[in-house]
Amino acid sequence: MSVAHADLALVEECRANRPGAFEAVYRAHAPRLFGLACRLVGRSEAEDVLQEVFLTAHRKLGLYRGESSLGTWLFRLATNQCLDHLRSKRARFAAMTDELDAEPPAPHAGVGAVVGVVDRLDLERALADLPPGCRAVFVLHDVEGCEHREIGEMLGIADGTSKSQLHKARMRLRTALAGGPSRAESAS
Amino acid sequence: MSTCHDIEPQLSELLDGGLSSAELGLVEAHLATCERCRGIRRDLERVRRAARSLAPMPPPAHVWLEVAGHVHPAAADGARRPTATDARVAMRQWIGIAAMLVLVTIGAYFVIRTPGAPVDPSGNAASASFVEAVDDMDKTVDEKIKKLETLVKEGKDRLGPEAAATLMSSIETIDGAIAKSRAALGQAPASVPARESLFEALKAKVGVLQATLNLMNEMRKGDQAAAAEAAAAFGKKSS
Repeated sequence: MSVAHADLALVEECRANRPGAFEAVYRAHAPRLFGLACRLVGRSEAEDVLQEVFLTAHRKLGLYRGESSLGTWLFRLATNQCLDHLRSKRARFAAMTDELDAEPPAPHAGVGAVVGVVDRLDLERALADLPPGCRAVFVLHDVEGCEHREIGEMLGIADGTSKSQLHKARMRLRTALAGGPSRAESAS
Repeated sequence: MSTCHDIEPQLSELLDGGLSSAELGLVEAHLATCERCRGIRRDLERVRRAARSLAPMPPPAHVWLEVAGHVHPAAADGARRPTATDARVAMRQWIGIAAMLVLVTIGAYFVIRTPGAPVDPSGNAASASFVEAVDDMDKTVDEKIKKLETLVKEGKDRLGPEAAATLMSSIETIDGAIAKSRAALGQAPASVPARESLFEALKAKVGVLQATLNLMNEMRKGDQAAAAEAAAAFGKKSS
């Protein structure tokens, strides 16, 4: 059975209220979506967002037609939920990516390679400190593997803006992981 | 001749394979002679590779309980009514959650009580977003907690005396940790352990209250007698 057929069969079971069917959907997809939510909206609000994602998914299962995998469908739902959450929290978010273009560039982190082996915890912390606009692009592209076209659609920005935000995010992370500009400069 | 200023913005595109052949030629020619830009390319590649390795994160167990608590009423309209077993399962899950959250809270509190626990006077060890998240949570969570407490108080009788007593004792422990964490933060506003402890305690309180509400929901839907039996069994276990 193909993935789409297996997903459709599971969704049919959910619609028929078969015991355990919706829990199976939750168990299979919650870890990825929770990781996404933690990285986009922060750990303290990710639980509420995840809960809302699955409640929305349960309400909208009737709209799932199997055109993409259930995982992709849920991922889009979760991304939109996270972005709505950020927008409602900060009404300025809509203009955030444009504002970032006008910001001064991230400080240079010195000459030559200054980042050693990247510890995952350090990266998570540095990620949390990025501005929401370029953090969203970085998470969607580099962590989740989305293409700029998809990111542009989800965030409502041009492909070129997505690319420039990604570069800014990587450069800021480089600086943060090098221990900040002062340490990086002295390393050069 | 391209300068670093021209080339640096294209280094991400280089890694992602998005440059045209003309752009690629220019970038590679520059990299052949520029150590600085080669270093940046290596760093960006390390960042990119590390990002790919960031793993999914399993959510805490109570999130599913909360989702299931909302989803089950719809299911009850269809194929299946909640059973007494559901109520017993819910009670067992609640006991686990309440116990775990209290332990987490106590654990976090011990961190700030332990002599020599790291307290960074400059506050540099705590990321700005973490400080902001905890301070935000501390300001906004009170209202949520009050609403949950009201709901729990209204339905507390449904839990039975033993489970209700255990609930109140758990809440008391967590409230103690919240008060002490706030006091510790008052004395050392940049203390990372105190802020983490406050964060865990606030989360624990919300978690216990939400899980309790969910349990009461399950008990309302399920067989009352079996739920009472489960509550009594819980009372014996907790003594």
